[in-house]
Amino acid sequence: MTEQITFAALSIVLVGSALAVVLSKNLFHAVLWLALALTGTAGIFLLLDAEFLAAVQLLLYAGGIITIVVFAIVVTERLIGERLTQTNMRIGGAAFVSVVFLGFIVVVLGRHALPAFRPEMPGDLTRLIGETVLTRYVLPFELLAVLMLVGMLGAIYFARPED
Amino acid sequence: MIGVLTGSALHALIALLLPAFSFLVLAIVAPFRRLGRPAAWFSTTCAAAAFVSALIAWHYGAEQIAKVVWPWLPSGGVTIADVGVLLDAQSSVMLCLVTLVSFLVQFYSLGYLHDEPARSLGRYYAYQSLFAFSMIGLALAPNLLQLFMCWELVGLCSYLLIGYWYQRPSAARAAVKAFWITKAGDVGLLIGIVMLWRLTGTFDLQQLRMLATSGAIPVAGLSIITFAIYMGAMGKSAQFPFHVWLPDAMEGPTPVSALIHAATMVTAGVYLLVRTDWLFALTPNVLTIVAWIGAFTALLAAVLACVQDDIKRVLAYSTVSQLGYMMTAIGAGVAAAGFLHLLTHGLFKALLFLGAGAVIHAVGSNDLPRMGGLARRMPQTALLFIVGTLSLAGIPLFGGFLSKEEILGAVWMGGLPGPFALLLLVAFLTAFYMFRVVFLAFFGTPAPVAAVVHAGHAPAHGTVGQVVSASAEAAADRRSAEREGWSDPARTPPRVAHSHLHNEAVVEGAHVHEVPHAHEPPATMLLPLWVLALMTMAVGVYTTWGGAATAGFFVGGEHAEQAVPPGWLTPVAVGAGLAGILLAWLTYQTRAINASSLAAAFGPIRSAAIRKFWIDDVFETIYGLILLGLARVVGWIDRYIVDGVLNLLSDWTVQAGDELRGIQTGKPQDYVYGVATGVLVLVLLMRLVF
Amino acid sequence: MGLQPYLLLSATVFSIGLFGVMTRRNTIGILLGVELMMNAVNINLVAFSRYTAAASGMIFTVFTICITVTEAALGLAIVILLFRVRRTVMADHLDLLKG
Repeated sequence: MTEQITFAALSIVLVGSALAVVLSKNLFHAVLWLALALTGTAGIFLLLDAEFLAAVQLLLYAGGIITIVVFAIVVTERLIGERLTQTNMRIGGAAFVSVVFLGFIVVVLGRHALPAFRPEMPGDLTRLIGETVLTRYVLPFELLAVLMLVGMLGAIYFARPED
Repeated sequence: MIGVLTGSALHALIALLLPAFSFLVLAIVAPFRRLGRPAAWFSTTCAAAAFVSALIAWHYGAEQIAKVVWPWLPSGGVTIADVGVLLDAQSSVMLCLVTLVSFLVQFYSLGYLHDEPARSLGRYYAYQSLFAFSMIGLALAPNLLQLFMCWELVGLCSYLLIGYWYQRPSAARAAVKAFWITKAGDVGLLIGIVMLWRLTGTFDLQQLRMLATSGAIPVAGLSIITFAIYMGAMGKSAQFPFHVWLPDAMEGPTPVSALIHAATMVTAGVYLLVRTDWLFALTPNVLTIVAWIGAFTALLAAVLACVQDDIKRVLAYSTVSQLGYMMTAIGAGVAAAGFLHLLTHGLFKALLFLGAGAVIHAVGSNDLPRMGGLARRMPQTALLFIVGTLSLAGIPLFGGFLSKEEILGAVWMGGLPGPFALLLLVAFLTAFYMFRVVFLAFFGTPAPVAAVVHAGHAPAHGTVGQVVSASAEAAADRRSAEREGWSDPARTPPRVAHSHLHNEAVVEGAHVHEVPHAHEPPATMLLPLWVLALMTMAVGVYTTWGGAATAGFFVGGEHAEQAVPPGWLTPVAVGAGLAGILLAWLTYQTRAINASSLAAAFGPIRSAAIRKFWIDDVFETIYGLILLGLARVVGWIDRYIVDGVLNLLSDWTVQAGDELRGIQTGKPQDYVYGVATGVLVLVLLMRLVF
Repeated sequence: MGLQPYLLLSATVFSIGLFGVMTRRNTIGILLGVELMMNAVNINLVAFSRYTAAASGMIFTVFTICITVTEAALGLAIVILLFRVRRTVMADHLDLLKG
């Protein structure tokens, strides 16, 4: 019962802020709405017993990404010197595609039997995740590190000052 | 090889292949051909050898039939066509005629074309050899397919030889005209041959004959076949209305006219009908048509011959007329009579043409008004020419007498009084116009000539004298105004004579002197004339003395004994001929009858005849309107409809491309949109449809 | 409660993100749409992981989050660079591919 109410509330927050992200005319407002959406996602993660992931979500997404997006807006907005306004284009076609896509997934979901209750999970998921990452999935982990390094270098190169 | 290679068949083959060999050598070894006179002698020698071979073949094989063929067109395990020789009484004597006239003409051309440049001379003899080969192949053809092939080859050679002086536009036009008109007939022949094959399953003449005589060929629908075959003969043998090409074909050199348009090619049509008379015997209504068209052609040509001023044209129309005679005989059912006349006519018409060639060579022009009193200068030629003319007029003791009698008898006994009357009238006219030529050319006062300009010998063309009048202009105008009236050589002013002999004269280094006296032709030209005249006389004496039975000597034992014609026939026919001679004598020699009033008496016919009864114009209209019109229509369709459709399609493609290009906006969002839509459509299709 | 609601939620957020990618003119706005889509995917992953008792789903999510962060950083760097070169962030103006 509580779960359903919490889920409903979080859904409303999440979907509402998502809609606000895409429909806001002011980009800055859209970014803030995105922050709210990401936080809502973290809440969903908590609801799904994924505490570690909720924390990671808040840290990286709601914290990191929002920050850099804001910086990017500021940098580009300042250079133009005016508020960036949004006028959306091709709303009709895009809306149609999105709605049809959603409808399709709904139909597909309706046809298949899905698990209806939560099975037991090991108690300390965080510990489990930590161990698995460093033993079984250590290769992707390292590759991820390499990827991030490369990304960092790339970003620095891209954003270097003009000369 | 199928068949026994008897001595006669072997010699027939030799006679066939010698001219082919000559042609191949001359065609392939170009340096030899361009030498000119050596090539001419080579070709003439081959022709002489072919004639000797033909004589041997005739001597050995006139009684039996010899046939040697090689399979040629296999089809489904069975050969549908052979090539080879079929030697029977008809083909062996035809072979002799063709090889004889071929040889004599080639020999004659050595003198007549003496001044041609070497390259052209070599070309001429190559064509002559090819023609000899084709005509012999036609005569000896064992089946209709080889006959047709040689038929076409002969037509090709005619085109090549008529257009020998191809730089002259009139010659080129005449060659094309001959080709077109005979082609029209050839279509009919081909259709007839193929339909006959469909009906009987064979092309072979012997087999067809057996089927025909045994009644195995269904008669229904056979009339179309025989008429189609007759159409081929109409084209080649110049029957009305396909006769228009023959007079124009006189643009070629005179020896060519003697060979092709007197003795051999034009007789191919008659020969074809003679060879297949057993087939035509099954369709008597077609034979009746043949007879009537033949008689009408004879009359038409005779009338036209009366108004010609060009000696060669008179002879050309005379040939058409005599061909009509032969066809009438065939139409009456007695093909042998037509065939006999073919043989004798071949001899004396070739003689007449070669004699005319001698006259033209001497005078430098074809025009009768320019000639006169030549008998004094060229006695031998005159004598020989008169021999030929008497033969043509059908006077007893001369070559054409018996054959003409046979034809008239056959037509009368065949129950065709209408054609008979026409032929009798034609006999009268024939004697008249031929003796008109004799009296105008050989007797009377010579035509007055003023100063004559001889063109210097230009190396490229090698022309000899072209007679050009010095004071020609006014005279020419008066002359052309006088064109409608009978020409009186005594009062004719000199006129501009268009040379029928050579290319356009190159008047360089012209020097003026008196016209040389007309002289006897050189020996190379005179000798064939003597040979032909002697042969004509021999035939004439033999047949007159021996009567109708002697015809079998020439046309073979198949000449069935027919009912004896009525006794009054011979005197009436000879009388008609003599009457014609008398009228000509009175009009042109003694001037007892005024030529102009004679002309006026037949005024409207005469003016129509001068315009050749507008038959040529009809053909030209057909050609111009229908053929060219059709070409224009087709061209229009091609330009506007076919090209139009293509251009339209290409324009649409370009337009579509331009409009489709709008999809590529360059904005990545549009591409995302496109991808999303595409994926959606695909997935939906996969889930829902498939 | 069942897996279905979570999946529906994730699908909704995904299509909203898709809509945003297709309609936003500002490049940064497009990136925001992409972020939404990634989020929806993560929800999907975690929900499946929870309802099938497979921890590997959550581990995968960790990885995707990290990769998304990298991609966002690089994307924004590109936007800034693009802005420097073309003096615009409007996606409409970036039509060099126009055919």
